[in-house]
Amino acid sequence: MNDKSKRLTRCFSAVFPELNERRIASASPKTVAAWDSIATVTLVSLIDEEFGIEVEPEAFDRLVSFTSILSYVEELTASLR
Amino acid sequence: MKLIDALEALKDEPQSQSPVLDVDLACGFTPLHLLTFLNAHLRREFPNHKISIRTGIFGDLLGYLEVLERERPAVTVAVIEWADLDPRLGIRRLGGWETRQMFDIAENVRDHATKLADSLERISRANLVVLALPTLPFPPIAFTPGWQSSSFENDVREILAHLASRLAKSRNIRVISSQRLDRISPPGSRFDVKAEISTGFPYKISHADALAGLLSRIIRDPLPKKGLITDLDDTLWKGILGEVNVEGIAWDLDHHAQKHGLYQQLLASLAETGVLIAVASKNDPFLVEDAFRKAKLMLPRSRIFPIEANWGPKSTSVYKILRAWNLGADSVVFVDDNSLELAEVKAAHAEIECLRFPRDDDEAAYQFLETLRDLFGKQCVSPEDEIRLQSIEASQVIAEASQSDGHAREHFLQEIGGRLTLSFSKNTRDPRPLELLNKTNQFNLNGKRHTEVAWRNYLNDPEVFLLLASYEDKFGSLGKIAVMAGRCEGNKLSVEYWVMSCRAFSRRIEYGCLLHIFQKSGAEAASFDFAPTSRNTAIQSFFADLMGAAPPARSSISKQQFFDKCPPLYLEIQEHCDERQEQATHEVLFCGLPRAQ
Repeated sequence: MNDKSKRLTRCFSAVFPELNERRIASASPKTVAAWDSIATVTLVSLIDEEFGIEVEPEAFDRLVSFTSILSYVEELTASLR
Repeated sequence: MKLIDALEALKDEPQSQSPVLDVDLACGFTPLHLLTFLNAHLRREFPNHKISIRTGIFGDLLGYLEVLERERPAVTVAVIEWADLDPRLGIRRLGGWETRQMFDIAENVRDHATKLADSLERISRANLVVLALPTLPFPPIAFTPGWQSSSFENDVREILAHLASRLAKSRNIRVISSQRLDRISPPGSRFDVKAEISTGFPYKISHADALAGLLSRIIRDPLPKKGLITDLDDTLWKGILGEVNVEGIAWDLDHHAQKHGLYQQLLASLAETGVLIAVASKNDPFLVEDAFRKAKLMLPRSRIFPIEANWGPKSTSVYKILRAWNLGADSVVFVDDNSLELAEVKAAHAEIECLRFPRDDDEAAYQFLETLRDLFGKQCVSPEDEIRLQSIEASQVIAEASQSDGHAREHFLQEIGGRLTLSFSKNTRDPRPLELLNKTNQFNLNGKRHTEVAWRNYLNDPEVFLLLASYEDKFGSLGKIAVMAGRCEGNKLSVEYWVMSCRAFSRRIEYGCLLHIFQKSGAEAASFDFAPTSRNTAIQSFFADLMGAAPPARSSISKQQFFDKCPPLYLEIQEHCDERQEQATHEVLFCGLPRAQ
């Protein structure tokens, strides 16, 4: 697990405390009942705070699983370098 | 606090038996992270409580407040933003910002402000209300440029200022200080326009954290410190008295010593509200008395008790002062300009709050005054605050007399003419019983503390009795100094709370209270929900005198046992039962400015 993946896992764990690491890795609104619109907004705020980025509202539609969020974060942080 | 820290703090559930602090968060926007931060900060402020926060319907602040008027007792947190006063002052509704609409907006704001104030006052009759008035920037409605204040904006702000002024006078309503919020959350960095538009949550994370922190602190209302011990040279005044004599000390602009004058001015103001002020100084005691006599200090000599001026260690002086006040070190602040003296006192009295007087730094001195105001700040000034110093001085005379031989002691107690007035009125609007319960350490049955809501719920139990004792003698009045609460079932009295101010020791008031309640209730025995604490040695001694040993938890004493052990009482005991007069005597002296009739 790389550093970004670890940090994102921590964000997920804060929003979904009932999920273990394995379930977080495969998490999506379909597999996690608590993943509603408020959870998405909270996740986005945590990601902004943790990675120092600003997730645009237009990107919300892409953020549908742990893996898609991780690639989005990697993309965005790479473009900031 | 970061958002992730707040969320992680919420993972740790308090024990299931913990008391619950019920909070209703009323705001017109989606509370989202404000709710998370409020929950996390409240957990920090109330570590032994479970926090339960309920929120209302998004967009209908007034409607939710109306629901709260009818519902459960809980702390109400109302966070008002511009859009709650008129939706056109927010950015999620497009109602028009044309000049011709401004009058209508202002009138609507006035109408909403009145309705909000009425509703919050009604809620505050039963519950504590904490209020934050608009914290976000005023929208760019007026035709004037942003750097110029428009008459429209001023009109609206005036309405809000009236609202704040009106509500801050209510006993059960606490309004967040906008000045303090400005300091910890700069006004220009609060508004999250993107989040407001996309999610309906208008705050930047840092602002939500700062606001929630203040709301939580104002709910907890930390206990104020009770006494301040100050150094003299280069602290209360500029100059070393022993070197420059009385004529050489200064505390004014002319002598570049204004910060010392401001410090004196603040101490005089604290003393007026019942804070005890003493002096611990390495100095010639005669010279010190001379200085107080000749120099016209902002803090008069009559406000200071005692003065410990000598050449011994300051920790010893502090020890003597704490004894004279009958206070624990944790209730006291020690101020000195010398770090070494502060360290010496701290080493001997670990719980005392030591603050260095910043004699060479005006900015730091001003901050220091604000720190003092925070440490000693209280909700209102009571009659007991007014007479505290006088009664402490009288207590010392009585304590000294009680050390004398048996005959002299009895004669003294007989001669002072003590009058004990007992009231059984469960007046939930009187803050004094809870104040006593939460502040008293030495004569405290079990050290249990209560929140305002929990205390009010307890008193609302019809089975519960409340005894509030006031005392006066030839040395003056001590005001309301003792509280006993519990239940009387059949011929058994069950005492669940019992506290007495340390100012009232050595007068046998505790015996007078118990005697009267035995007589009034007809109970044949009394049980006590006693628990030893590290501080309640005074009540332990009382029980040891009565029962021969410190009692175990839930110990009992029979009426006969009590009468056998009760020492002679010279108190005139009377019961106060005039409800109207009771209300009047419970009025606080000062709780904001009196409302205009």
